[in-house]
Amino acid sequence: MAHSTLTRPVGAAPLRPAKTISPSARAWLFLTPSMLFLGVLIAASLLVLRMSVGTKGAEWSGFSLASYAQLLEPYYLKSLLLTLRLALVSALIAVLLATPVGYCMSRLQSPLLRRVFLAAVLMPLLVNLLLQSYGWLVILGPGGMLNQALLGLGLIDRPVMLLYNQTGVLMGLVQTAFPLAVLPIASAMRGVARSYEEAAATLGASRLQVFRQVVLPMSLPGIITGATLVFAYNASSFVVPLLLGGRRVPMLAVMVHDQIAPLMNWPAASAAGVVLIVTTLAIMTFSEFVTGRRRRILEASQ
Amino acid sequence: MSNLLKSLFRGAAPLPGETGRFAMGLSGVILLLAVLPILTMIVMSFSGASNLDFPPASYSLQWYQAAWNTFVSPDASDVLSLGQAFTTSLLVATLSMLFATLIAVPAAYALVRCEFRGKAAALQLMSLPLVFPMVVLGLALLLIFDSLPFQLNTSRLVIAHVILALPFVVRNCTAAMLSIGSEVEEAAKMLGASPLRAIVDVVVPLMRSGILAGMLLAFIISFNEFTVTYFLYNIDVMTVPIWMYSRTVSSLDPTVFSFAVLIVLIDFALIWALEKLVGEGGVSF
Repeated sequence: MAHSTLTRPVGAAPLRPAKTISPSARAWLFLTPSMLFLGVLIAASLLVLRMSVGTKGAEWSGFSLASYAQLLEPYYLKSLLLTLRLALVSALIAVLLATPVGYCMSRLQSPLLRRVFLAAVLMPLLVNLLLQSYGWLVILGPGGMLNQALLGLGLIDRPVMLLYNQTGVLMGLVQTAFPLAVLPIASAMRGVARSYEEAAATLGASRLQVFRQVVLPMSLPGIITGATLVFAYNASSFVVPLLLGGRRVPMLAVMVHDQIAPLMNWPAASAAGVVLIVTTLAIMTFSEFVTGRRRRILEASQ
Repeated sequence: MSNLLKSLFRGAAPLPGETGRFAMGLSGVILLLAVLPILTMIVMSFSGASNLDFPPASYSLQWYQAAWNTFVSPDASDVLSLGQAFTTSLLVATLSMLFATLIAVPAAYALVRCEFRGKAAALQLMSLPLVFPMVVLGLALLLIFDSLPFQLNTSRLVIAHVILALPFVVRNCTAAMLSIGSEVEEAAKMLGASPLRAIVDVVVPLMRSGILAGMLLAFIISFNEFTVTYFLYNIDVMTVPIWMYSRTVSSLDPTVFSFAVLIVLIDFALIWALEKLVGEGGVSF
């Protein structure tokens, strides 16, 4: 009985008439639904671009570069520089902290420990940023954990202000974007075969030397990718500066929202948004360029 | 595990390519710092005091009791009850998960199996939402939805969340797809299955763990999303994060900590399940 479905009598109709649809068309057919959603994203960015050269009150018909000129005023320029600086510093710190963690994750043997490590890495990325900011409020507050610890150690005489200034925001930025640095670094280091380390150790390199001269250079593309992701993510960070910075650390993303909610100035918000998009795409392209070159050099040398 | 324990406790020098105790310890401390805000919040939810000093002077379940009371008998002053916000959150997360998966599976198939013009561009486009500034996405979607002649409520959040979750789902499905050889599909076709049936009956079941991982990830992302939702919510549709923010915008109320613990528990369970599904390979990002 089972055979009858598997074999065909001789002389029956040919298996399948050849479909006329080309593979390329079929591929695009399969991609259409997701492209529709991504099309919304593209349309949305074009809309923001159009809005940014509009004028207040006549957003769709007017044309002026006033919103961009406004961004060059000292207050906005300062906010832009602050955003870039915080994103850069947080990317550097996050990569510094992520490198040992990524190395450990790529070399862990025990499945249980690997799961625990991965869960600890994923939590800060996936758990609602709002909740994590509440945790930071408790840690950084005047009577909070960090101040208590510093007072207890005798490092400070009276509680230092950590909330609502750049220190607190920077700590929050590093912590929430940290997983974005760990994941690419861990995957790059997993790609460095253990035999390289064994070879270096056989030739007399110490553990630190093996790490610094073999593992680190070979996983540099992953490290650069991690740094870029953290930078891009933090340059447009919204929740952390909103909650930990109050209104005193005006990062660009917070300003975009402020332009809408109290001020109803759509062109100004859009112009700031365009600056954010351009910054992000520029840094991503640059990183792609650097890691692509680096990868080619690595491949050529192997 | 036994290898690790040996190297940890017997003090045997680790072989090259094994993690030494120093590196392990350092990573442990860094990871502890990374989850410290979440741990702090969990401890604070058991606080018996009414201020935010850490460690709390005493421990009690008073905030859980208060939270329960808010849940069962919402104040008239609350614009929207937590129950409604929770229902909205679950609805939006479930719909986003389903839509994102339904559109990501065929896309992953096309990206892995087919060679076509514009593939590089399609791949680039797929990862665009990962790096696109969320504030701008929120702003732009708000512009679009407000200029539409009809009003979207829940669906505007779903559309936004599907866009945000899509790269993660596509990546997980692509990774699953890559591990399936094209020969199973050819075999199915040779046995008389139509191309579509070969995909639905043979390829998709083999991709199952990747698809499930993508679904879970999409659910977690949607359930925890704040930034874009903050631009798009209105009084009728409010998700749990927005509800919490609107409650704490003036002063931090420790009741929120007990809700937060509940959400963290849900997240942790989902992440743990996600890791089990993905197994040794690690989650694809």
